Amino acid sequence: MKQRTLWSVTLVAGLVVLAGCGSASDPDAAAGGSKGKLVVWDWKSGDATASSDIKKAKADFAQRHPGVTVEFVAQPFDQYYTLLGAAIQAGKGPDVMLFNGGGQIRDRADSLLPLDEYVRDDRKRLAGWDAFTKDGRTYAAPVTLQGHPIYYNKSLYRKAGLDPEQPATRWDEFVADCRTLTKTTGARCFAQGNKEGIGIQFFLSGLGSGVLSPTEYDDWIAGRRDWSSPAVKRVFSLWKEVNDKGLNNDGANSTAMFNDAFAVFQSNKAAHVIGLMSDTGHWKDFAEFLDADDVGVMKSPVVMAGAMPSLPYDGGIGYAVAKWTKDPEVAADLVRSLTSTGALKSFFADAGAIAADRTVDVSSGGPAVATIVSEIDRGKPALHVALPSRTVELMGRLSQQLLSGSVTVDAAVKQLAASDQAG
Amino acid sequence: MSPVGRRAERLAPYVLVAPAVLIIVLLRLWPLGLGVSFSFTGDGDRNGATVGLGNYAELIGDPLFRTALRNVGWLVVLLPVAVAIPGLLATFIHLRVPGHSFFRSVYFFPAVLSPVIVGAIFNLLLAFDGPLNTVLGGSGAGPVDWLGDPDVAIFTVVGAHIWATSGMALVVFLAGFATLDSALLDAARVDGASLARMIWHVIIPGLSRTIQFVVVTTMIGMLTSMFGLLYVMTSGGPEGSTYLPEYYIWVQQGQMSRPALASAASTVLFLVMLVVGLLQVGLLRRAGRED
Repeated sequence: MKQRTLWSVTLVAGLVVLAGCGSASDPDAAAGGSKGKLVVWDWKSGDATASSDIKKAKADFAQRHPGVTVEFVAQPFDQYYTLLGAAIQAGKGPDVMLFNGGGQIRDRADSLLPLDEYVRDDRKRLAGWDAFTKDGRTYAAPVTLQGHPIYYNKSLYRKAGLDPEQPATRWDEFVADCRTLTKTTGARCFAQGNKEGIGIQFFLSGLGSGVLSPTEYDDWIAGRRDWSSPAVKRVFSLWKEVNDKGLNNDGANSTAMFNDAFAVFQSNKAAHVIGLMSDTGHWKDFAEFLDADDVGVMKSPVVMAGAMPSLPYDGGIGYAVAKWTKDPEVAADLVRSLTSTGALKSFFADAGAIAADRTVDVSSGGPAVATIVSEIDRGKPALHVALPSRTVELMGRLSQQLLSGSVTVDAAVKQLAASDQAG
Repeated sequence: MSPVGRRAERLAPYVLVAPAVLIIVLLRLWPLGLGVSFSFTGDGDRNGATVGLGNYAELIGDPLFRTALRNVGWLVVLLPVAVAIPGLLATFIHLRVPGHSFFRSVYFFPAVLSPVIVGAIFNLLLAFDGPLNTVLGGSGAGPVDWLGDPDVAIFTVVGAHIWATSGMALVVFLAGFATLDSALLDAARVDGASLARMIWHVIIPGLSRTIQFVVVTTMIGMLTSMFGLLYVMTSGGPEGSTYLPEYYIWVQQGQMSRPALASAASTVLFLVMLVVGLLQVGLLRRAGRED
């Protein structure tokens, strides 16, 4: 017994001595491939649709750096950031890695190499840099654009006697159209999935430009967010109102955005959905179920006077370089190859993504793509992407509480403000 | 014996236990110590800096973590249900209800499914416009938002977990019944005892060790292997109502890039498990002494 006590005391004492030493993520982690080899992490290279982009980029890079081998490691997407975080902490991170724009890359910017001096020549050709920028420095080069157009079903519009080429531009007209649509076709106004708390992200960004004034919008993106402004509150009261008025499909809180909500839209059970521009839940997916010519894209109706609706989009995914890579110049060159026009062209053609490269020809994609691409120059970054990931996560939970009525709009906005300003 | 030989003999036991001790120290205690030590450091900009009990204070202040701990409490409360269901089913099978051998294999079947598959099945069945709500609607009752109502969702997930894992407990109960003296049951039957009385006075006392074993294993199962179901069925939602500590740890470490906070949460979970584990060891030891 005595011995056991002694052991326990030793163990506890050891822990106390250790307490507060070291750090949860290795501050001087250094890893990656050896010289002459670059390791790339992504969640794409395993897909058949992405392989031709990778091949093109590899060939392009091999021409310029014949002595360097490149190894692509495809990780499962749902575990990607967990694995990447663990690898960075263990000092076994890759040299070049794929990132989603917004919070994910900003949270990890301290492990990444600023790319500004390397990508100067690509600035004009590519769009969507903001999503990979933190404190004025760029940490990744965009591959695709991701955004939240409002898709609508033109055939339902025709059946309801509405003009499919002239969707409503004011919110009250839009709600009236929805009433007509539901009465004549049985379809709800919005396909909504908020099981994962994603519905609110799409809603905030999809309709935000119809609520916030252009100045307030730009301030929000620049980090000067006034959570107590009437317009910001209006977004969240609108979110609740839409559901309370029965404009959403039933059970929004238990419908998964991926892909149950999209299935509601594809099966003509809802006339609108705020979807994505690239990869999934987008024009290409919808065109497989509805006729490609029946998939329309509209701007947000104007909810508050003074708003100037625009397409919300950001850099979707992009390649970043780790701070500890042996030869930053070579790694940055690989990023440039991965974002060359040739590589990005096949991203559009094979994977159905809106490529970050403005010079890619999209005329084969149908009217929805044409509308989206025509709006890119006037578009602005999406509102939810500008938020820190902890606030986005909190917003997901609060949005569910708003729908179930267990929190008020004022209380929710207050909590969001506190989380946003926490640091 | 030569002095060298004597020394070798004295050292031999230490050499022999060394591999086991090394494995425990290197793979268990050292990481545990590191994790505890990390929990006193900061995240992000303050990576590596000592923050004292800051992470623990943040945990206590985080309603999400409090929900996670409260849900652990719910699991403990629901434990008797999770034990009683396989126990009752095993009783019926033992009493040879019609079709008992068919039911024996049917009840065991879910135990071979992975949590991901179980979760997907229940996601389909319990969707708001899914088959169960259609049946409820047809019978006049309104639909229940099984996975979207914060007051219901945690019970839905625990229910799915019990459905998936009770097969194993059922088999353990059936093994326990094999040791039960059937003369006692026959005597009770001759005396005209009702089923409820038979269960209370004959079966439960006769199976006390089996029941204790099932209680311990079920509790461990509920505390450590709900992650897959949560991930697939609710992702911690709605409104964060189905968070459990392990899910919270995963979100903080992987999604929020807060490894130090996750270490603190892991330390708290470890302490909870330690208390539960010690209680259970005590329970098992007492059960062993009874015979």
